Amino acid sequence: MRSLEVVAPKAPLWPLLAKEMREITGGRAFWIMFLLLCGLVGFSFLQAAELYGEASASAKDSPLLAGSLSPLDGVLVPTLGAFYLGVTLLFPFVAIRVISNEKETGALCLLVQLPYGVSTLCATKLTAILLAWAAAGVPALSAIAVWMIAGGHIQGGETLNLLFGHLLYGLLIGSIALFAAAISESSATAAIIVLAVTIGSWVLDFTAAGHSGMLAWLSQVSLTQTLRPFEQGLLSVGLVIGMVGATLGFAGLAGIWLPPGVSTRRKLLRSAICGLGICATMAAAAAVRRTIDMTEDRRNSFSAADQEQLSRLSGHLAITVRLAPEDPRFADLRRNVLSKIERAMPSVTIDIPGRGSGDGPDRYGEVNYSYGGRVDMSRSTSHREILPLIYGLAGVPPPSAPSAPDYPGYPLILGAHWPAPWFFGVLPLMTAALWWRSRRPPKITHLTEGEQS
Amino acid sequence: MVAQAYPENAPFLQVAGLTKTFAGQFALRGVTFDLRRGEVLGLIGPNGAGKTTLLETIAGILPAENGHITSRGEEIPERQIRQTLFYVPDGIRPYGEQYVAQVLSFMASVFRRSAKDVEQTIAAAGLSEVLGKRVNSLSKGFARRLLLAIGFLTPHPVLLMDEPFDGFDLKQTRNMMSVLRDMAANGRTLLLSIHQMADAERVCDRFVLLADGTVRGAGTLEQLRSQTARPDGRLEDIFLALT
Repeated sequence: MRSLEVVAPKAPLWPLLAKEMREITGGRAFWIMFLLLCGLVGFSFLQAAELYGEASASAKDSPLLAGSLSPLDGVLVPTLGAFYLGVTLLFPFVAIRVISNEKETGALCLLVQLPYGVSTLCATKLTAILLAWAAAGVPALSAIAVWMIAGGHIQGGETLNLLFGHLLYGLLIGSIALFAAAISESSATAAIIVLAVTIGSWVLDFTAAGHSGMLAWLSQVSLTQTLRPFEQGLLSVGLVIGMVGATLGFAGLAGIWLPPGVSTRRKLLRSAICGLGICATMAAAAAVRRTIDMTEDRRNSFSAADQEQLSRLSGHLAITVRLAPEDPRFADLRRNVLSKIERAMPSVTIDIPGRGSGDGPDRYGEVNYSYGGRVDMSRSTSHREILPLIYGLAGVPPPSAPSAPDYPGYPLILGAHWPAPWFFGVLPLMTAALWWRSRRPPKITHLTEGEQS
Repeated sequence: MVAQAYPENAPFLQVAGLTKTFAGQFALRGVTFDLRRGEVLGLIGPNGAGKTTLLETIAGILPAENGHITSRGEEIPERQIRQTLFYVPDGIRPYGEQYVAQVLSFMASVFRRSAKDVEQTIAAAGLSEVLGKRVNSLSKGFARRLLLAIGFLTPHPVLLMDEPFDGFDLKQTRNMMSVLRDMAANGRTLLLSIHQMADAERVCDRFVLLADGTVRGAGTLEQLRSQTARPDGRLEDIFLALT
């Protein structure tokens, strides 16, 4: 008697991850992206620091003006904005390599026979994409380091929140690239699909700006919208769940389409199930309204006393806004009042009747507040008028606790372009050196180093 | 390791009724044959006969419309097929921008092969002089050797190889045949797709003759000779007689 022996399924993950990293760094796309990011991020940082310096010079003798100087808005967001541009337009070309290369060379046929499950393969590829994103973030991180070395103020919470938003965005783009590469036969097609999604988001934003109804709803699924709350210093739990869900969903779809030995019909069926899962996650995420204001100046919240008082109002507040979404007053009202109330109170609904609601033109501009059966109206967009109105409806006195100290602001005048050599000289040279090193053949004597017998 | 006992002379694996179509056209039509432990089975047929499709379908690279792979009459689950067979395709250059040493090291690490195994594989495939070269820069012959070396590094009991001698000269072909024969002598089962019948005659124990996606004959050379009533016939003559 003999036995039918089969290969033990366990295999180490490290060689697979190392192979994926070699696939990414083996092409020129990664290095070109890195070089471009050095310039883009460096230029944005220097421009932002210069403008911040000019504003700081004006604020030198005015504490009121200084209070409006926040490094988050003035330096971090514009600097990371350049990184966002690189991740949107250049990173897909790098990310698609982890599948497209293997498809084009036929190596996929070998890969799917290795003792790894499809989920392991996709998870490893996504990890490699994450590592590539982290490497691409070096110029941006170095800009933050330069800012700190120059004496610039960085608040940990709001900075980490912003970086976290960029991480989620990078992973989302990476997973879309993974999916695009899985369904495409060539890297060119995959790149077109990803760019159609990313640039399509910009077009959607541009088209939907200031509109209501279907266009406004569509604009919510735009990728560019996902970073906005993080840039405003908000950590939205629902958005995080949504982005993580979408990332896992696209990676799952990539896993469905990656193996060549499955019929298209079965892939479509599995994709439909996965698509339903993504939609359910999105719906659940949209229902989660918890957000945390991470900013040092608490710009997204009322004063602590008002926040506490509002959170105690357990009844339902219904707000009807008779303003067109493109009206600047609506933007003010949303920023100064509505978005803060939504976060502070447990139960709020905001209704924006459309143009065909039958209201006369004389009612345009009215904002009605209804709480506990009482109704009041205001045309103000300032919380100083609206909060007392709400307290009046609820029958509670306005809080009398002392207000928190004002945000001091952090003016800084950075020396004239002294960090420029770092972004336009040292970093690119280091990149070239690393590229050259990555091109060198491996030491043959170490071919089997570290392997088990 | 999963072990299933079965009689010494029984077929190791059976491929039964494998059918595959492309856009309604049959590429494989109920292909049935068996594999025995430690044998070299030649899949013989002209270009377009369906050899590559058959190998890829058996390996699970292509989905089949019908048919199954069994062991002792029991169907083998898809996952276990992947753990039993490894398919070495024809005409690919895997990981072209990486060095030969890196590709071999990757495969060796995945399958936890020892340094000695890797050294023996490099020697058997004759890859020593190109370890420091990129896969993209290899000649056709060395690219073939790399693919064979990848197959040699896998521990699967059954190895499917598509045109393993393509790109080799006569001497290289004979050397590689010797390596494959040694492998079979050590208990590994080889299923080789070969279109050069003279090569197939030298290296294979048994043959499956394929034409238009249909098995036209199967057995040892002697069995095929008696089947076609050509006692001294070459494989080429037998193939022509059966197709």
